Formats: sequence, C-alpha cells, structure tokens
Amino acid sequence: MPQTADKVKDHISLFKEPEYTEMFSAKKAAFECRPSDEAVAAQAEYSKTWEYREKNFAREVAVINPAKACQPLGAVFAAAGFEETMPYVHGSQGCVAYFRSHLARHFKEASACVSDSMTEDAAVFGGLNNIVEGLQNAHALYKPKMIAMSTTCMAEVIGDDLSAFIAQAKEKGSIPADFPVPFAHTPSFVGSHLTGYDNMIKGILQYFWERESHKNRDPGAKINIVPGFDGYAVANNRELKRILDLMGVEYTLLSDVSEVFDTPTDGRYRMYDGGTALDDTRAAINAKATVALQKYAAEKTLDYCKENGHATASFHYPIGVAGTDTFLMAMSELSGKPIPEALEKERGRLVDAIADSQAWLHGKRVALFGDPDVVYGLTAFLLELGCEPVHCLCTNGSADWEAEMKALLASSPFGAAGQVWRGKDLWHMRSLLFTEPCDLLIGSSYGKYLEKDTGTPLVRVGFPIFDRHHHHRFPTFGYQGGLRVLVSILDRILEVADASSDISYDLTR
Amino acid sequence: MNQAKIQELFNEPGCATNRAKSDSARKKGCSKALTPGAAAGGCCFDGAKISLQPIVDVVHLVHGPIACEGNSWDGRNSWSTGGDLYRRGFTTDLSNLDIVHGGERKLYKAIRHAVEIHKPPAVLVYQTCVGALIGDDVAGVCKAATERLGTPVIPIDAPGFAGSKSLGARLGGEALLQHVIGTIEPPDPGPTDINLLAEYNVNGELDQIRPLLARIGIRLRTAITGDARYRDIAAAHTARANLVVCSQAFVTLARKMKERWGIPYVEGSFYGISDTSVALRGLVSLLVDRGADLKLAARAEAVIAEEEAKAWKALAPYRARLAGKRVLLYTGGVKSWSVIAALQEIGMEFVGTSVRKSTAEDKERIRSLTGGDAVMIDQLPPREMYRMLRDGEADLLMSGGRTQFVALKARTPWVEINQERHHGYAGYDGMVALVRQIDQALANPIWDQVRRPAPWEG
Repeated sequence: MPQTADKVKDHISLFKEPEYTEMFSAKKAAFECRPSDEAVAAQAEYSKTWEYREKNFAREVAVINPAKACQPLGAVFAAAGFEETMPYVHGSQGCVAYFRSHLARHFKEASACVSDSMTEDAAVFGGLNNIVEGLQNAHALYKPKMIAMSTTCMAEVIGDDLSAFIAQAKEKGSIPADFPVPFAHTPSFVGSHLTGYDNMIKGILQYFWERESHKNRDPGAKINIVPGFDGYAVANNRELKRILDLMGVEYTLLSDVSEVFDTPTDGRYRMYDGGTALDDTRAAINAKATVALQKYAAEKTLDYCKENGHATASFHYPIGVAGTDTFLMAMSELSGKPIPEALEKERGRLVDAIADSQAWLHGKRVALFGDPDVVYGLTAFLLELGCEPVHCLCTNGSADWEAEMKALLASSPFGAAGQVWRGKDLWHMRSLLFTEPCDLLIGSSYGKYLEKDTGTPLVRVGFPIFDRHHHHRFPTFGYQGGLRVLVSILDRILEVADASSDISYDLTR
Repeated sequence: MNQAKIQELFNEPGCATNRAKSDSARKKGCSKALTPGAAAGGCCFDGAKISLQPIVDVVHLVHGPIACEGNSWDGRNSWSTGGDLYRRGFTTDLSNLDIVHGGERKLYKAIRHAVEIHKPPAVLVYQTCVGALIGDDVAGVCKAATERLGTPVIPIDAPGFAGSKSLGARLGGEALLQHVIGTIEPPDPGPTDINLLAEYNVNGELDQIRPLLARIGIRLRTAITGDARYRDIAAAHTARANLVVCSQAFVTLARKMKERWGIPYVEGSFYGISDTSVALRGLVSLLVDRGADLKLAARAEAVIAEEEAKAWKALAPYRARLAGKRVLLYTGGVKSWSVIAALQEIGMEFVGTSVRKSTAEDKERIRSLTGGDAVMIDQLPPREMYRMLRDGEADLLMSGGRTQFVALKARTPWVEINQERHHGYAGYDGMVALVRQIDQALANPIWDQVRRPAPWEG
C-alpha cells in the first residue's frame, strides 16, 4: 500500500509508486490498443516537421487549443466591476459555473454570478419565465443595486428578446420598475470574451444614459476610462488610479473589479466590493472624453460614446516605455494637466532597468499569444527591449489588428523576423515552435503544455493564469508594470541560463 | 604583517616602473595611501583570495569573521572543468569569544573537519584583519596541521589591512612560491611544458586558449591559477617557459621562478587577434631556445595563419557597423592596450584608456598604438567620466561592473570586460565574441529610448 494514514503522499509522488506504474502499464498493454511505442514516437517526431506544419496550417474546421474565451465571460467580468452589481446570465447554468470557476481560479477570489438555469422546456417555450423568476430570486436573495444581464448561446439560439422579457418581468412585479437591469446579447458563437466585455459596458451605459434619463448631457472635465478585459485588473486599475491621481486628472473607471476580485480576509464576506458607483456611471455621460486601454475590447463602447459627443481615444494595453508614454501624453492633452515629476522619475527608472539588463535580452527570439491588445502591447515592449518577437499569435484578432501588428513589426529592425498569426490556435503555435524555435514563449497558463512539449521556456503574462498565484496582484500597466513584466522575462532567461549551465553556474549574472 | 616581505615585493626588478624610481621613492613602495572618506577598491585579502580561488580542488578556508568569506564567496566567474570544491565557502566565522580567547583552536578544528570531509589535496588558509589583530598564528597552525593531518595546509598571510588588492595578489603568488611550487616532481616533464601565469579561466577563457596550444604541440602544465589542480601547481617548476598574462599580479612570481628554476618568461595577452599571435610566438620562441623541436614554430605559424584568417572573416560583417565608433576604455593592466589593438583592427577609435593599473611597458604599448599620450588617463574620477560620456565624447564605455552605472546614467552603451562578464574574450574566438557583444550593446534599441527626452519634454 503506497498510501497509509501515517505517510500520506500527494499525487505528484503517489502515482510514481510501483503499484500505480504497474497498473498503468498493464492498462496500457491490455486495454488501450496502442500502436507500438516506436510508431507513437515516429508519429510524434513527424508532428514536429515542416511537412506537418503545412498540413496543420491547412486545417480549416477544427480549432485545437484556442487562446480565447467566450462573450459572456467578458460580460460577467465587466458587470462585476460596478457598485453592488450581480452579474446575471440568461441561459444554462453550466456555462455560468465555468465563468465563475475561471475567474475564481485566476483571481483566487470568490466570483458572484447567477444564471436563470434554462432547461429543455425553456428552450422549447422560450426563457421568459426563467427571467421573471430569476430576477425576482436574485433580487430577493442577493440584494444587489443592479443586475447586469448577459446571455449564453442557448438563449441566443432560440432568440429570446431580453429587452421585452425584462420589461415584462418588471410589469409582473419581479423587481421594482426603476431597478436597473442593463443587458447585452452575448452569444458565444460570435467574437470572444472581448466582444462580450464591450457589449456589456455599452449595455450598461445605454441603460443609464438612454433608458433611465434620455441623454441629458452637460459636458464637464472628467474622463471615462474603459480598462478592458484584463487578468491584471486588480493591480492595473489601482496603478491606473495612482497615475491619474498623481497627474490630478478627474476620471471615472467604467468597470473597476479591483476591489471585488481582491477582498481582504478579515472575517467578513463581501459579495460586492468597490466598483464603479452607479451615480458615477449615470454622470459619465457628461465626461469630456472616453478612452479605452484596449482598443479591441471597447470598439462599440467608444463608438457609442462618440455618438454622445465624447472625444475618444484608444490604446493597446499601455505597457513599457513608449506604450505608457503614449497613454500619458494623451491623458495630459485631454485633461490639460502636465506630467508630474514623480512619473518622470518612474519612467527614468524603467529605462534604467532595461539598460541595466539589455545584454541578456538582446536578440532573444520570442513567441507570444494572447488577446489582441495584450499581444500588441507586449510586442511593442519586446521591440523596446531588443528582443525579437517571432511568432505573434492571436486567436481572436481582427484584420485591423493584423494590419496594425504588421506596421508595428515593420517599425523596428528587431521586428524583421516577426510573423503575425491571426485566428490561429495553440496547436498551430506548437508547429511554429518546432519548426522555427524561439528562446521564450509568453502567454497564459495554457502555454505550459507548449513549454513541456516544445521545451520553450514560458513567461506567464495574460489570462488566465491558473497555475501561478497572485501574479494579478502586481501591475503590468505603466512604467511600474513594465518593470514587473521585464523582471518576469529576465527571471525566466536567467533561470534557463542557470538550469542549462554546468561549469558556468555563476553567482553573479 | 611582515614589512620586509612587503618591501621586497614592492622592489620588483622585473617591473620597469620600479626600476625607473629613485631609491627613496622605491622604498615608499608603489601602493598609494588611501584617502579616508573616499571610495577605494578591494583589500589585500581580496587580492589574494581572487588570485588563488581558481585552484579548483583545494579547500579555501578563510580565518576571520563571517563577512570576509561571505562577501567574497564565489565572486568571480572562474570556471572549473573538474570539481567545484573551490566554490564552497569555508570560514572559521570568528565571533566575540574567539576574539577574546583566540581563534587558533577553532582554525585547527576547521582545517581538520575540512580535510576529513572533503579529503582535498591541500587546504589554503587565508588570514584576515581580525585574525591578524588578535595575533592568531596562522602559519603555526598550518604547520602543525600539515604535520598531524598529512595534508598540505598553506597559510596565505595577506590580511586586508596590509595594503591593496594588487599587493594581495602578489602575496598570493609568494605563498605559492614558498609552500607549493616545486613540492611535487611529476613523472612526465616534457620539452614543451608551459605555465600561464595570472590566467584565471574567467568564463572559461582557458578553453579558448588550450585548443590553440594543443594544436601547436605545447602542453599546458597549469594555469596559475585558472582551473588549476593543486598537484599541477606543485609541479609547475618543471615547465620550460612561463607566459605572464597579467603582469601586475604575478610578474614577481615569474621572475622568481626564473631565478630559482631557470624558467624564462614572456609577458603577453590573449585579448586581441594579433596579440594572441604575438603571445603564441613568444612562447614558441622561448621553448625552441630551450631545445624544443623546431617544427613547433612551423606548426605555430600554420595555426596562427588559419585562426587569424577565420577570425577576420568572422569580424568582417561588423566592420561596417563599428568602424569609426569611439570607445572609452576603463580597465587595468594588460587589457588597457591589448583591447585597443584588437578593436583598432576593425576600425574603432579610442578616446581614452585608463592606465592606473598599467606598467610602464603597458603604457609604452599604448603610446605606440595610439601615437601619443593623448588617450592615456591616469585617474578618471567618475564625475569626469560621466562628463565625457554625457557630452558625447565616446559612443561606448568598456569597463568593469562598477563603472557600468556611470555609463548608463550618462546614456551611453556599456560592455563589461572585467571579471563579471559572461563571455570569454580570449584568443581568436574570444575576440569575435567581444566584437559581437559590442555590436549588440551599440545596436540595442533601448539606447534610443535612453537618449530621447520624455515626449512631454518636447
């Protein structure tokens, strides 16, 4: 018995015990109907070749290991960032369990979200009853100030009309008539989590600016900021606020999850915490401008704000020196506030740190994947560092994104070898890493399988990060964030240097 | 500390600077008095430690409070092709009571412990300020330990307060001469055996040199002390010639080996293409003079011709990018001229080189390479260096890690050429590696960013 009460083994060591290894090999021999080990090895080798890569890239229908999530995940994330708001998904409850576990595993924090648990009969007769009951229960049980509704595929396939159903629920007295229930149709079969994020933010603004008050705009000095779907939102939003406070800019973050996804352990459970105040959201129509930190996570929202007379600007996940410069310059121009000395010093420190370490970074070939703006921002940062982005892959990038990426790579000699892979998945990335190897891979936790398979060291930046703790508590935005990303990259490079050194196992590097 | 010994070390007839001095100046020695309150370099202990630490198979035991070993532990990237005993930090960790009661017993027990556990061919015991101040007789303990334990235990009497780092290196050499070299007669002395003095195998540079020697047919008995084994150093007296790579540290050792065992020496450098060739020819000519086969010279010429051609071919692509770039060189000794010659060969220019640790011969080489005294800088205070770089008088600083930050703050690219570097720069391959590093440093995109004002500064 490998497992006894006296000496409990964890699963890392338990399954290496002879009992288990024998059992595995017996099962393999008797039941798995496997070809010979040689045949498996030969096939595995073949899958690393250029020939296989060409077949892989000719693949049309199957997506293998996609680097994207679905619309309602983004909508739930966006909704969670408003004051005492319960994200509500109209559709099947299984999807919602996924969103909650996804967010909880990444942020190491409980994620409140309800569904109205549509079943087979609801699919036949429509989901009206689910909304009527669901709103009543959610309102009574969890006492939110707002319920932000999105949808799963199931509701979208049968074509449920959220606007009409919510109105009927109010008529039937499920919730008070003036209770805010903004909504967004978020079918997973269109776009990605970024589309859902965008739709939900726009839906919330539309509710307060049109349905509730009919566009009474009185332009002021504030600037709305839409951070976008961001796995580092906890720290990044705080960093953003710190930077803007230093500059003296007046702002409203439209969706701020920095509190609700980072609540303290002090004996009190906070289902809701922080978030954008509903009154601030109402008043956000009076802003002079609305800016999006991730262009491709807020396209519709920005269009809507523009229609309402706001100046608009968008960025590609401001990271590194030039990325942050562009953002600060725009904020300075929009607000008329100068850049304070404190930020100037932070900038100098980041430049200093890069210069200190440039010899280790120079010419490192990097493959990266993630959301479009994150990939863009990181690519720009890598070019600054003297690394060479080789494979820039984005499952959910658009044609516009591809064109912008190509222009970015063409702007630097370090981008000469760079290739942009739009709409490709991580199985494509596997072929890329075998045929045109890189020194580093940057991406989410899902990159760990590629790391093990292809031997390319992984630097974890992106969403989700499931297998490392607390990365989201440190910013990636701004000069400070650039420093953190820089350190992650350097640490990995130096760890690799240490791990692969025998006589060059040096104390000082 | 033995003043007579220090006097003797300072009075080095092999050193041209010393020969040129008046009697009274010579008596004062060559270390400049330190200025209290001003920044200063490493101490005598540090010099002895780093010059001997590369002996890979012995226990290096520091007799002092914790920090002497703690701060110097594995401080330089000297590589070993054998064991890693030399990288362990051994110390007696002297504390309050030891200082009251004396640390000799503790030292003896530490030596015995190290010998029992590791069974090294020898133990090197380094004296420090504290051990010397309380009067611990390190030499006596070592003698007793050698007799009782049957393993050579060598005292390195170079406590920090005795003087400069450079003096420490010389004292390290003295200790080898007094206790180690000549204590073992090897079974296999050969007509082409040589030693490399003051070559420390930083970043494996020996492996950029060893294959060249092997192809010519020269056998390296040992480097003193890079990647060295104790028994090889003990047999170093059977070599037929010595090459001194850093004359500051071990020229005295070379001279005394010549006096005692008749081993001729030549000073040379493996930094730079033609310098490497000159060094190899110098060695060959010493060996041939002492009766080695004449074919040695022919083989050397063949290897030199082939390797030079290969190196020049590899460097050609860099010439277009690097020609005309201006370099400020801040290092010591032999590197002050050997690197100049190497980089001039691909068209780089020199706006200055420090000569603070260079000998008169080093300086003469610089003069002949650069056509005058203009570029020689005796003292380059950081402030002045900063000014030169900030005003754009150089495109690149090459120096040790400590001046790295002056360059970076003055927005100038920098290349590490002292012991913390991570690439071997010796021999023909090493020169190509150095030029590649220079090219990378100059081409890194961060320099544009470093020099550009923040966009809001217009």
